[in-house]
Amino acid sequence: MLGIKHKLVKSVIVGAALLGSAMTMTACSSSSSKTTTVDFYNMKVEFKDQLNAAAATYNKTHKGVKVKVTSVGGGTDYQAALKAKMQSGKTPDIFALEGPQQLQTYKKYLSDVSAGKAIKKALPGTLNTVKSGSQVLGYPVLQEAIGIVYNKTIFQKAGIDASKITTMAAYENALKTLNDKKSELGIQAATAFPMKEWWVIGQHAVDPFLSQEFNGSVTKAYNAKTISWKNSDYFKQYIDATTKYSAQPVQSMDYSTQIEKLFSTGKVAMAEQGTWVYPTIESVDKNLAKDIGIIPIPVNSKSAGKLPVGVTQWWAVNKQADTKTQKASRDFLDWLFTSKTGKNIVLTKLKVVPAYSGFDSSKISDPLGKDAYSYISDKQTQGLVFGGFATGWAQNGMAPELQKYVSGKESWNTAIKNSQAAWETARAGQ
Amino acid sequence: MSKKKTWFYLFSAPVLIALFLVVLLPFFYGIFYSFTNWDGVSQSAFVGISNYINALKDPTYLASLWFTIKFSVIAIVLINVIGLGLAVLVTNKFKGANILRTIFFMPNLIGGLILGFIWQFIFVEAFSAFGKLTGIPGLGSWLATTNTGFWALVIVMVWQYSGYIMVIYISYLQGIDQSLLEAADLDGASATQKFWQIKFPLIMPGFTVSLFMTLSNCFKLYDQNLSLTAGGPYNSTQMVAMNIYNTAFSMNKMGFAQAKAVIFFVFVAIISLTQVYLTSRKEIEA
Amino acid sequence: MHAEKNTKKIWMIIVGCILGVIWISPFYLMLTNSFKTKKELFSDTLGLPKHLNFDNYVNSAKDLNVVSTFMNSLVITVVSVAIIILFSSLAAYAIQRTKSKWSGFFYMLFVAAMLVPFQSVMIPLVSVFGRVNMLNRPGLVFMYLGFGASMSVFLYNGAMKGIPQALDEAAIIDGASRWQIFTKVIFPMLQPTTVTVALLNVMWIWNDYLLPSLVINQPGSQTIPLTMFDFFGQFTKQWHLAMAGLTIAIIPVIIFYFVMQKQIIAGVSEGAVK
Repeated sequence: MLGIKHKLVKSVIVGAALLGSAMTMTACSSSSSKTTTVDFYNMKVEFKDQLNAAAATYNKTHKGVKVKVTSVGGGTDYQAALKAKMQSGKTPDIFALEGPQQLQTYKKYLSDVSAGKAIKKALPGTLNTVKSGSQVLGYPVLQEAIGIVYNKTIFQKAGIDASKITTMAAYENALKTLNDKKSELGIQAATAFPMKEWWVIGQHAVDPFLSQEFNGSVTKAYNAKTISWKNSDYFKQYIDATTKYSAQPVQSMDYSTQIEKLFSTGKVAMAEQGTWVYPTIESVDKNLAKDIGIIPIPVNSKSAGKLPVGVTQWWAVNKQADTKTQKASRDFLDWLFTSKTGKNIVLTKLKVVPAYSGFDSSKISDPLGKDAYSYISDKQTQGLVFGGFATGWAQNGMAPELQKYVSGKESWNTAIKNSQAAWETARAGQ
Repeated sequence: MSKKKTWFYLFSAPVLIALFLVVLLPFFYGIFYSFTNWDGVSQSAFVGISNYINALKDPTYLASLWFTIKFSVIAIVLINVIGLGLAVLVTNKFKGANILRTIFFMPNLIGGLILGFIWQFIFVEAFSAFGKLTGIPGLGSWLATTNTGFWALVIVMVWQYSGYIMVIYISYLQGIDQSLLEAADLDGASATQKFWQIKFPLIMPGFTVSLFMTLSNCFKLYDQNLSLTAGGPYNSTQMVAMNIYNTAFSMNKMGFAQAKAVIFFVFVAIISLTQVYLTSRKEIEA
Repeated sequence: MHAEKNTKKIWMIIVGCILGVIWISPFYLMLTNSFKTKKELFSDTLGLPKHLNFDNYVNSAKDLNVVSTFMNSLVITVVSVAIIILFSSLAAYAIQRTKSKWSGFFYMLFVAAMLVPFQSVMIPLVSVFGRVNMLNRPGLVFMYLGFGASMSVFLYNGAMKGIPQALDEAAIIDGASRWQIFTKVIFPMLQPTTVTVALLNVMWIWNDYLLPSLVINQPGSQTIPLTMFDFFGQFTKQWHLAMAGLTIAIIPVIIFYFVMQKQIIAGVSEGAVK
């Protein structure tokens, strides 16, 4: 019995010690009430170092505020982690939004940021998705363009003029030419198509073909009960040609194989991706990265020569935080997008195409960003709509159907019909 | 009498409290949510048992369940046979047995996701290089079809867990009283006889433990599934855990996902409790 | 007789070597690729590195913030595993030695808990612990006790069956308390199982990603897997750095395993002497 008592005493001590340390830890995080801490929950791990540096700079020059950046891996995992945070009552002060569905889901956590200095400088169209009446519920982070990234050197050697690839026929021709001259050009295949990545096929590839149905508006896409698939034939042509002339096997090809292993090493001449691939290519081969460009995926004459461009991520400020913290959060984002230091960071460190006016576009250093920017200033763009797709549709309703079609499991018509049905079911459940 | 019971409760209390707060309470919450249309954030409404009905009608869920069963049966058999084989091999006294032990266990030193990525490398790169060298077709597209994707998952699982299960079998094999084996030696028993007649019955409790552990690990597999095939092509290699995760976070239907999880739990619980019951009966007989 | 034994040994060594090579080949990839530049890694994945450059190691050690994350991982793993061993062996002892409705029920509870998929409890779990302000390192340790206890109780319970109840009874007659019996008699005899339990739990906790990512993912309290995942962005995967980081991260675990293995062997021979 003595032993048990001894044990009891021991476990009480251990328990107390644990609790004590727990308390001191929580006490630490909420100490010194004079400083306002802004908890920034970043979704782009690629920006981790840059945002940490930006926060450090900001904290140094702004007394009484401490911006703390936590970066969490992209996509579904971020959503899971964010929901967990909200459930535990520790909602971050700044967090990422990806489209209308999340606007709905996170409604009670979204504050009106229309008073922000940067919001007034936001480029036309970049706020459409996050507008709710007179309110603006998020800061656009960047503009991204989706298209076909191509290797200029290889194109030149093969005698292909990228600016002429505005029709499906021209696209097929280019692929064929590259394929015929494979050994001469020293490439493995004309293009690389990563069908393992649901977002490449289910979101990006589909986007230009569905965009016209919704007039390029995310909100229209979000409210659409059905999809008509007017451009289904063009889409079939695109999928057929791309998979035919792609490095094989397409079914198990992932993003890393497509961009890092094949495109960046000059083994293929084309890759359907977007402006975000530049840092990746640069990290593999600096020289090759200098000579690349981006062109639109051809659909039909209506969209010929128009590059799909849009904002795919917004930064929201937590409504549940106290007003002081909300203001501090907005101040930081305003500083990042409007101050000289901040703008410099956005252009030269984050290396993105800004969604705000007042930037010196000549400072855009990467060739993809430059190309995208010239499409934007020539007004040769069309809206990105995949942010408004039915929830989970791209991953579970569209991508698997394309994979089935390409592996010969079902016909094109069945694939399209199934994707339509999946859209309707997903919408009905909302 | 009461004194006798005090120690029982005191000894088991800390773990029971932890188990209750960490696993049971959240699990009951989950059951509660399975009757709602909760999306993980906002208020939710009761929807009765419609989530359960929808789950049983959801073809992707049923397909993932069937895929998981097929996978688990094959993986469990292979892991236990190979794991036991490895344990027998390295408990023999020969040069290098200890190093081999470490090598067989090494796969467990790496976490599931990263391990999956390394294997993805092997299936895509090494296999295609080997295929080119030997001229065997189809080696390059190992992760591209349902069938080979299935076997890729089995291979990785066996590679990783055989060493894990080996550790458990070793602890039972080494618990065997050496004098029994020496006596058998004196009687002139062969190695196979010694294995089947002496070692095998004595490691029966090890089977109960190992079978159960492989079962629960195979059925709950997520990390390797995600990093190896990500469910592709066309979700045909999607396992239940991934189906549940995607329902919850990609389709934003937390309540529906919880219902799927509950069905899955009941299903696995019935199978494993039957297994534990059957093998522990065998233990007593042996 | 002797010659037969020798051929058997040779066969074992041959089989062992072949299996060993198969088992270790992925580690060959990890090690060789940790010395390659990103370009080299993608253009020649299988070959040996052209130069033995340690840039990746230097860079990944810096990115991982290796000293502080390493200490975090170490503290969390050691404390959690110690607590798991202590409490689950105690519980297994209580449950296995008592034949009552409750003991049977508790045992079933532990077994059933092993079957709960983590994904289905994670959101409510974080919600419960968040409300009582326990999303921190002590909270994480407590969660590991909850998740790890089942398997450990299960393993201890299996091993306890092999220890004759007569030992307890003899000790009780000698006037020993249950606590004394457990610490002086039972626990030492469980050593091989303790080593197994320690090993399996160390592997799991050291490599765990999902749970700490929900509970302690903040600069300063991160563990190795958490920082390691910064190499895997939404698009880019920095394989060359990840491979180097991984090599750094598993060296201590390999050492730990070697030490543990010696323990197992020592424990067994000890038992044989007695």
